[in-house]
Amino acid sequence: MSAKKEFSVKWGMAIDLDKCTGCGACMVACQAENNLAPQADASNKRRVMNWLVVYELSNGKAFPDHEVAYLPRPCQQCAEQPCATVCPVVATERNEEGGIVSQVTPRCIGCRYCMAACPYHARYFNWFDPIWPKGMEKALTPDVSMRPRGVVEKCTFCHHRFMQAKDVLRTKGIDVYTRAVDGKHHCAIPENGYVTSCAEACPNGAIVFGDLNNPAHKVYQLVTGNDNAFRLLERLGTDTAVYYISSREWVRRLGDNYLPDEETQKPQQILPKKH
Amino acid sequence: MKFVAGASAGIMATPVPWKLLDDVSIWTQNWSWIPRNQYGESTYAHAVSKMDPSGVPMRIRLVDGRPVRVLPVEDHPLGGGLTALSVAEVQMLYSPGRVKRPLLRAADGGFTELDWPAAAKILQEKLTEAGKNTAFISGDESSSTNEVLSAFAKGIGSDQVFFMPSEGQCASVAARLMGLEAQFGYDLEKSDYVLAIGANLLESWGTVVRNRRIFKESHPHPVRSAAKGIKEAAPMAVLAYAGSVQNNTAAVARPWLPIYPGSEGLLALGIANMLIAKGRVVDAADFDAFKALAAKFTPEEVARLTGVDPKKLEAVVEGLLKAKAPLVVVGSEFGQGAGAAPLMAAFAVNALLGNINRPGGLVLMPPAQTAMPKAEARSGMYAKDLASWIGTAKPALLVLHEANPVYALPDPESVAAALKNIPFKVSFSTFMDESAALCDLVLPIGMGIERTDDMESPYGCGGSVYCVTPAVVEAEQDVRSTANALLFVARKMGMDLGFETLMDLIKAKAQQYGKAKFDVLASGKALVDDRTVGPRGLKLRADILGKALQPAAKAKDALCLAPYAKLSMGTAKTGIPPYNNKTLRAGDLDGTAMTVLMNAATASKKGMANGDRLLLDSGRRRIAAKLRVYEGVMNDTVAVCLGFGHTALDEFSQNKGANVMELMTAAAEPGTGLSVWTGTAVAVSKA
Repeated sequence: MSAKKEFSVKWGMAIDLDKCTGCGACMVACQAENNLAPQADASNKRRVMNWLVVYELSNGKAFPDHEVAYLPRPCQQCAEQPCATVCPVVATERNEEGGIVSQVTPRCIGCRYCMAACPYHARYFNWFDPIWPKGMEKALTPDVSMRPRGVVEKCTFCHHRFMQAKDVLRTKGIDVYTRAVDGKHHCAIPENGYVTSCAEACPNGAIVFGDLNNPAHKVYQLVTGNDNAFRLLERLGTDTAVYYISSREWVRRLGDNYLPDEETQKPQQILPKKH
Repeated sequence: MKFVAGASAGIMATPVPWKLLDDVSIWTQNWSWIPRNQYGESTYAHAVSKMDPSGVPMRIRLVDGRPVRVLPVEDHPLGGGLTALSVAEVQMLYSPGRVKRPLLRAADGGFTELDWPAAAKILQEKLTEAGKNTAFISGDESSSTNEVLSAFAKGIGSDQVFFMPSEGQCASVAARLMGLEAQFGYDLEKSDYVLAIGANLLESWGTVVRNRRIFKESHPHPVRSAAKGIKEAAPMAVLAYAGSVQNNTAAVARPWLPIYPGSEGLLALGIANMLIAKGRVVDAADFDAFKALAAKFTPEEVARLTGVDPKKLEAVVEGLLKAKAPLVVVGSEFGQGAGAAPLMAAFAVNALLGNINRPGGLVLMPPAQTAMPKAEARSGMYAKDLASWIGTAKPALLVLHEANPVYALPDPESVAAALKNIPFKVSFSTFMDESAALCDLVLPIGMGIERTDDMESPYGCGGSVYCVTPAVVEAEQDVRSTANALLFVARKMGMDLGFETLMDLIKAKAQQYGKAKFDVLASGKALVDDRTVGPRGLKLRADILGKALQPAAKAKDALCLAPYAKLSMGTAKTGIPPYNNKTLRAGDLDGTAMTVLMNAATASKKGMANGDRLLLDSGRRRIAAKLRVYEGVMNDTVAVCLGFGHTALDEFSQNKGANVMELMTAAAEPGTGLSVWTGTAVAVSKA
């Protein structure tokens, strides 16, 4: 892998799996915001385009001791991206303050190396031309371009909202980044000034979005030193920006491939905290 | 040789091949059929979802006047997020299933298009001809359109105005039978212990977004740090759930008490008995009779009848007793067919807990008001049972308003047969649903954001609330509103209903509610009225409860049927919205076959395994399905999701599984006048 880029601002999520009921509002909000085309038959999941999927988790116990949890899975926005390192045309990279992994679909040649590399199955190949029922194209947002078949797509943390939030500051004459006495950039976007569509829609407040480097942000407070926090496949070293939190140990153990006698680990035990 | 080597090195070093590749990539993506972004100024408007029955306040983003997104509203008593259904509302404006202009059944069985004046003339003729022999069915409980329907019906001498079955109807009938002139409200905001029995609070019961916002506020994120000595904060309110399926509410409720479907009222009586044993009483004239009835429901008997774990139940009752503001909410896991008796039993439990009209308790709200002189009160419409009427009555004319009884009532095939016997049927509908497809005259009405409408105290709210939703966008289809069309026809027929348009009626209603200005309400403000009415003259009606709350009859080898509802699957009126198809999980559908759920012990008992093709047989109808072994289902129970099996609407809803309503038959609930269908049993066999 290439050298990891560190940014002063690192947008990230804390997804509370004790709050998620698996309703799917986040999935629909994501599609509507990012102009994903609907599909009449969405039963074959290998042909369905979804940037965000809610998975069902089970504690594996028989009735009546069974428990269920739901896990929304956007792109994990890895700091060590398995995807970007294999892209032959630099259609995906993490090269902007904020740490969001880009997806430049006009540059994508559809080779799908990135899909094979992504351990989170967060990337989707566009098997079909995006077709909306007649007239429904009028409900497309002007913020995200439509993608043709033959390219790979993924969640961008609603990057256009990041750009809009920066524009709001610029029109007010406020610098987006200021250099503080610690020498680091600090982002002037207020905590609720940039929120992803999925986080915005969730009435349960299960998805918390913000700057993982900013101690004033709720997302930072939720994941820093929280023994209930975990990241998916932590030990791969991808250093993702999506944290999950749950008070249930069986949920946390499903985040990685633990052997039966292995102790459930915490993010800080596995990777040095660099942000 | 030198040239070849030089050329190779040159090709490797030059950016030309990469640039060409980049260009090829870009230009092979420019196709005329791929939509381009249409830019424009963003504006925002407030509305309330009329598509989502849970009453969701919304902020609509428009770009150059085109609605493109539904956004949540935080500052609203019913707001705080979106449901999987309401978030897709603007896309539904362009659903292929929409009715675009008035349609009249032709001699060849197909539809011919006509304009509104011609359609109104036919409607007027048919209404004049049928007169008092006209029946109306409304699928929207909270709109003032119902006043127009009932006043119009009265004007032509008919009192046959029905609602589609709902939880609100069960609660209204329960209140009336207990001698209460009130609408049940639930102060979830201030409750510190909520026990939901069958009521899928966080997905399909009542004011869903509000319920979920309250859940968010009362349940802090689990932060724990051994190093810093931080312990996890306990939730400010307990949410316990009793039901047959580990549904969206059960997924986060602590604890989940599995019970048999249809046994919600029996469990409530068992809890009442335990509370009485602890010395709790209710100030009601017939309390002794109730006490005697409840005494039969000992913990052992309740465990036998409902399948509940007695220890878990005891812990829940202890929790209720210790709580400052406990609240018990009873409902149906699929939002209908529970009858009034379980709600009456729940009221008794709440009364025993001493929480009637107390903060965090069960609130008796003044009944919804009427502004139209001849209109029938909502409770009057609720009192009429559609499921039993539709099989026997023979009106000359049936008028549907946003109602799809052919899909949503038990035994849809019989309902369709009953409708076919009605000489003329009219459907005011946004979508070409199963019922509209059977009608003789289909009249397109706008979606909620295309028309001015209102919402008055949707079932489940915590106090009276009144909202207005303005027309945010003009419809592309040739639509009218049901109320305005009927008011127009009324004038043509020489009837004066007191108002010329629905807008006038809404303005009058707003005046009733604290003299509010229409424009203020249309900008997203909700009127809240916290007044309550006293439980004077309360009767617990053990006479009715004793007869109505009986364990469902079931053949020895049959399984209990547990339908469950998900808002992402849409409603009977909308079908599955195009953007919601993808929320179906892998395994929910196998091609066109739907999945039903059983736990491993039940499947094993029946000699079945995961993936088996099954037939579910009610004795009258049967449906095919595929088995998914899921441990979150009660023993001897098969769980089936509502919302599949549409035969009308559009490609996003059709050819997906079967309609579970096919398996259900409505039975009379003794003493209440309602029908029930939550206690259905089915024979399950391998296909």
